[in-house]
Amino acid sequence: MKSKGTTLTAAALMLFGTSLSAQDVIRIASPNKVTTLDPIASAAAGNIEAFGQLYARLLRKDRDGQLQPGLAESWDVSEDGLTYTFELRDAKFSDGSEITAEDVAFSLNRVAKDEGSAYPAAYAPVKEFTAVDEDTVQLTLEYPSAPMLSYMEIFNAGIVSKDDLEERGEEAFASDPVTSGPFMVESWKPNDRLTLSANPNYWREGYPRLDGADLIEVSDDNARSTMIMAGEIDVNRGVPWAQIEEINGSGKAKVVLEPSTVVYGVMPNHDKPPFDNLNIRKAAAMALNREAITKAVTLGNATVANSTLPNALKFHDESVSPPAYDPEGARALLEEEDAVGTEVTLMITPSAEQIATLLKAQWDAVGFKTTVERVDAGLWWSKLTDGDYQVTSSWWYNETEDPDLAARWAVCGACGNRSYYTNYNNERVNELTEAALRERDEQKRGEMYAEIQKISTEELAQIPLYYSPFANGYATNVKGLTLTPSLQWTLEEAELADE
Amino acid sequence: MKTLRFIAMRLLQALPVLLGVSIITFTLMAATPGDPVRLLVGDRATPETIAAIRDRYGLDEPILVQYFTYLKNLVQGDLGASLRYRVPVSQLISQHYPVTLFLVLYTIFLTLPPVIALAVWSARRPNGIADQAIRLLGVLGLAVPVFWLALLFARFFGVTLGWFPVSGYGEGFGEHILHLFLPALSTMIWVVPILVRTLRSALLDEMNRDYVLTGLSKGLGERQVFRTHVFPNSVLPTLNLFAVIVAYLLGGSVIVETVYAVPGMGKLMVDSILARDYFVVQGATLVFALTTILVMLAVDLVSAVIDPRVKP
Repeated sequence: MKSKGTTLTAAALMLFGTSLSAQDVIRIASPNKVTTLDPIASAAAGNIEAFGQLYARLLRKDRDGQLQPGLAESWDVSEDGLTYTFELRDAKFSDGSEITAEDVAFSLNRVAKDEGSAYPAAYAPVKEFTAVDEDTVQLTLEYPSAPMLSYMEIFNAGIVSKDDLEERGEEAFASDPVTSGPFMVESWKPNDRLTLSANPNYWREGYPRLDGADLIEVSDDNARSTMIMAGEIDVNRGVPWAQIEEINGSGKAKVVLEPSTVVYGVMPNHDKPPFDNLNIRKAAAMALNREAITKAVTLGNATVANSTLPNALKFHDESVSPPAYDPEGARALLEEEDAVGTEVTLMITPSAEQIATLLKAQWDAVGFKTTVERVDAGLWWSKLTDGDYQVTSSWWYNETEDPDLAARWAVCGACGNRSYYTNYNNERVNELTEAALRERDEQKRGEMYAEIQKISTEELAQIPLYYSPFANGYATNVKGLTLTPSLQWTLEEAELADE
Repeated sequence: MKTLRFIAMRLLQALPVLLGVSIITFTLMAATPGDPVRLLVGDRATPETIAAIRDRYGLDEPILVQYFTYLKNLVQGDLGASLRYRVPVSQLISQHYPVTLFLVLYTIFLTLPPVIALAVWSARRPNGIADQAIRLLGVLGLAVPVFWLALLFARFFGVTLGWFPVSGYGEGFGEHILHLFLPALSTMIWVVPILVRTLRSALLDEMNRDYVLTGLSKGLGERQVFRTHVFPNSVLPTLNLFAVIVAYLLGGSVIVETVYAVPGMGKLMVDSILARDYFVVQGATLVFALTTILVMLAVDLVSAVIDPRVKP
């Protein structure tokens, strides 16, 4: 009788899913896709989140965001700030082969110089990485770069195996790489899930603590919420504001608001009327009750933004602010410019529907005539980069807390992407962006970034709306897992507690 | 022999259809604005990188050249590679197709018994209480949006009761059955009413035919007349509608696959369209078209078996 019961239980276990047997594997559902495992090939969020688990970098960040030794045990920067020397520790790739200076130089030169490198902006000052000997790597720069060390920690600075990549070719590597990070690839089903297992050769002893992780792609917000409440996943990346309460109330999981460098804003096209006119931009900004918008959209979970740069960045200036809410003043400005009744087209993707409704209502109230144009992400990007829009709403984030990349991305008109394709271009801001990169005196850098924020906020390069934290749901037994502002899961330190 | 020739002819006829489908899909995708490369490399890539990648994938070639390259590869049995994942399209399809096929077959399996039972029940006493109740339920089933119902099912059966998984596909047959139960159930609720209505009216039509009267007057029992004559004759129109629905289910799996996070063809299709992953959309459309052709063919063959007057 007993054996029959056992058989039945076993059969039931087999039938009723894996959730009972795989407790040391954490399951993370995210709307962001993993599309490639080659760390230089993409700067899309889903890939960034995966790269951090697969590839170790020269430096790493601790929980407080401080730089710590990673693959590099120690480092030394020359007086003039042009030469960096890294001493590597003894470490191995997932296949057991040594990680050599040769691999490091190869990987980092590839990020900096390869034409397929999706995000080389941080490495623009790099002259070259060279392997001095087996354990020493030298980085030489064309000109000094204050945040260079912190760039040795970002997602695409992961170290790949030169032999693996050259022997099997880029394509094979991009779907099943030899890895240097805490995890390695168990299997990858594109458009579905990436299954990771612990890398037994990872250099940090005792880490990772988990046996593995499943990065599951689930685009539907409701589906992810249902899954975490049903106990089918352990982490829900990106909980919509409206679902936080429900998830918290389920008793199965808790939503944690984690600091991010995400900033939401309105992006006017500075090359096209009417937003090429500062007074019109001012009127558009004054028409907006940004506190109310923030509260309505994020249910009070975000902070109203005061600057064109995210508040989680170093040198953030609290004292700058865009024009305050003043609908009458906005109307007066429009009248002054003889622009009452100006037609504007607000281009949005489906995710900005709510913001668009509020923008339209408030703009129309002061005398704009707003049309909302809905496009999908593919069309949005092509219209944006072609400059074929009047105004749009979007968000962005920064991978490091140094503001260099953020300034380059969002407000520098001469840095390659024309201020996030808004065509905002101010000579002084451009000069300051370059000067601040080269400046090694922290105080002076702080002043420069304050000035950048002051000018770009006054000129409304973008109309900042709010700084949004990450809202991620964690099952109650998940310990030690966070998503850092640079979009990295701290998976190597995470554990699943017994319940 | 005749049947074999019929099948061969139909498959031959499928070739121009498939060619037409591929031309239309290719043209539509090419005419859809949006850049696959930008979506591929993320938002921070420089224009130089994007140009380099466009060149690498041949996306800067004229559209006709791209199409003929595609066609040439297709003839050699190569569906091309996904722009986004850089893996063969055939790999993506073989990963996602079985899931949707399983879901469709499962839905059919769940659909047939209630369709037959309810249609027969309501045809027995037209406008009786049972008929009215079934009609009302049918209208409800048709009127309720599938995604909403699916959401409710997931929350109730998955979260509150914990009876069924609310996502994924699982490993092995047993898990597939369990994981896809709610998706199949959600789809079924929409399909059943349509088929019940069709089968019911076909049954009523047949029941009023002269041969029924003849049979009854010869002393055959009502049940026997129904089983051997009325029912088989009524199935044909439903079967044809059923074929259309199966084809529709294949393509329309998008909604339930989204709500239940099922990694099937619907998800692949939508994601690929959004990412402008041209070759995946092409490949998936061709597979859908081919499946539809095969289902139609199968229905014609089954019809011939049921009713010898329908010649293959």
